Amino acid sequence: MMNLSRSVALISLFLLPLLSFSFSVDNPTDRRVLVLLDDLSLKSSHSIFFNNLKSRGFDLDFKLADDSKLALQRYGQYLFDGLIIFAPSTERLGGSLDSKSIADFVDSGRDLILSADTSASDLIRGIATECGVDFDEDSSAMVIDHTSFSVSDVDGDHTLIAADDLVKSDVILGKAKIEAPVLFRGVAHSLNPTNNLVFKVLSASPSAYSANPSSKLSSPPQLTGSAISLVSVMQARNNARVVISGSLQLFSDRSGVQKAGSQNQYEKSGNEQFVTELSKWVFHERGHLKAGSLVHHRVGETDEPAIYRIKDDLEFSVEIYEWSGKSWEPYVANDVQVQFYMMSPYVLKTLSADKKGLFHTSFKVPDVYGVFQFKVEYEKLGYTTLSLSKQIPVRPYRHNEYERFIPTAYPYYGACFTTMAGFFVFSFVYLYHK
Amino acid sequence: MVKSTTKDAQDLFHSLRSAYVATPTNLKIIDLYVCFAVFTALIQVAYMALVGSFPFNSFLSGVLSCIGTAVLAVCLRIQVNKENKEFKDLAPERAFADFVLCNLVLHLVIINFLG
Repeated sequence: MMNLSRSVALISLFLLPLLSFSFSVDNPTDRRVLVLLDDLSLKSSHSIFFNNLKSRGFDLDFKLADDSKLALQRYGQYLFDGLIIFAPSTERLGGSLDSKSIADFVDSGRDLILSADTSASDLIRGIATECGVDFDEDSSAMVIDHTSFSVSDVDGDHTLIAADDLVKSDVILGKAKIEAPVLFRGVAHSLNPTNNLVFKVLSASPSAYSANPSSKLSSPPQLTGSAISLVSVMQARNNARVVISGSLQLFSDRSGVQKAGSQNQYEKSGNEQFVTELSKWVFHERGHLKAGSLVHHRVGETDEPAIYRIKDDLEFSVEIYEWSGKSWEPYVANDVQVQFYMMSPYVLKTLSADKKGLFHTSFKVPDVYGVFQFKVEYEKLGYTTLSLSKQIPVRPYRHNEYERFIPTAYPYYGACFTTMAGFFVFSFVYLYHK
Repeated sequence: MVKSTTKDAQDLFHSLRSAYVATPTNLKIIDLYVCFAVFTALIQVAYMALVGSFPFNSFLSGVLSCIGTAVLAVCLRIQVNKENKEFKDLAPERAFADFVLCNLVLHLVIINFLG
């Protein structure tokens, strides 16, 4: 008995380092992903997508959405870094999951891919509304486009659309241009206009609208044109990334698309490339920045002073690295700015980058004294937000640091000394005249 | 009427001049010193009007030294003038000593403020 317990303890000791497989500050790519399905046949119909994820090193855990043993956390620790919900018709999630626990999951900095479809339940709509995305209220409505539909649409009601209005962002969609249009068949959603964290990745063409394809239109549709978003993305302030799609078929294995009215016929639709690149972005393989500390010092010195004087010359630098999926590479950009800020920026300068990820500039402290902050606020589309600041006081001149012997003032110096000499001569003359 | 005013002006000027010639020499020396100090101050003001008030503290210091010493000289003149009933009992040496000490303090302050 003793031997058994000892060997179990030894084995668990060896396993302990392996248990720390999750994303961390040094390695921000997610590792373990929970996939919720409402139908296990999705594993085979979407096999290209899932196999692609597995080949990139992700640990996928497939579960039915109403499995009663579902849990995101155990003993206060999250078991998964990412969540994929391909269960558009599920009314209630099993186990300890509900829309609040999913909201907490995103609040902890973890990522989510959510897909609705033609029969989206209220639960899925509720989760999407939390992220700033509003699905069409009519539950039987689909996106219909009579000019951008796919020629291979068998039903003929133009609900299978070929969309190519992608967001222009290399960090979200990869450097390679997606040539073929992306096939989409599902519900439309619009973005909450007051939410500035959510943006469209794939929008519908101006001729699209959202309506029930099998009944006549009784009134003009509410969602039309480019206001309809097909796939949207949100990057929260804690840098958690959420992808919300209106179609589950977007992720499925499909090939061959020809857009109506265009000559090009593509053997492969752009879906595979689109969802692959999007999943790279959402699981933090791309576009994740890390900044070192802010460094500032006077020109000619290397130490950081505790206080600056007005009209000092100083140099400022910060290091920014970008995660490439495997290692930290130096980040290169020409739009990182630093502010010298006290209630409003007195100095705003663009930092110049060298190839090693060091951004630096130099400027003169303004002629105002008080407590300032060096602020770097970097919010670029698709990249993590950098919000760095460092406080530094600025003092006026000491009484012995003012300019002396100013040439303009020589007449005044001369006048003072002349007066003193005149006083001296006068007192002699006054006393000894006869 | 016009002729008489010019004649009055001339008479006034002559009477003033003859009265002034009669003042004692030490008072005339003090008057000369006051004129010199005020003249120096006026030169400085003209210079500032030309160049601008950049080192304002230097300008103030220069003008104040001239005006201050002029004021002290006027006080000396009042106290030393024998026709002045108010200071009949004040020894002129005491007045001159006050004048010297005040001037020393004035010029100390001026040099400190000159920058």
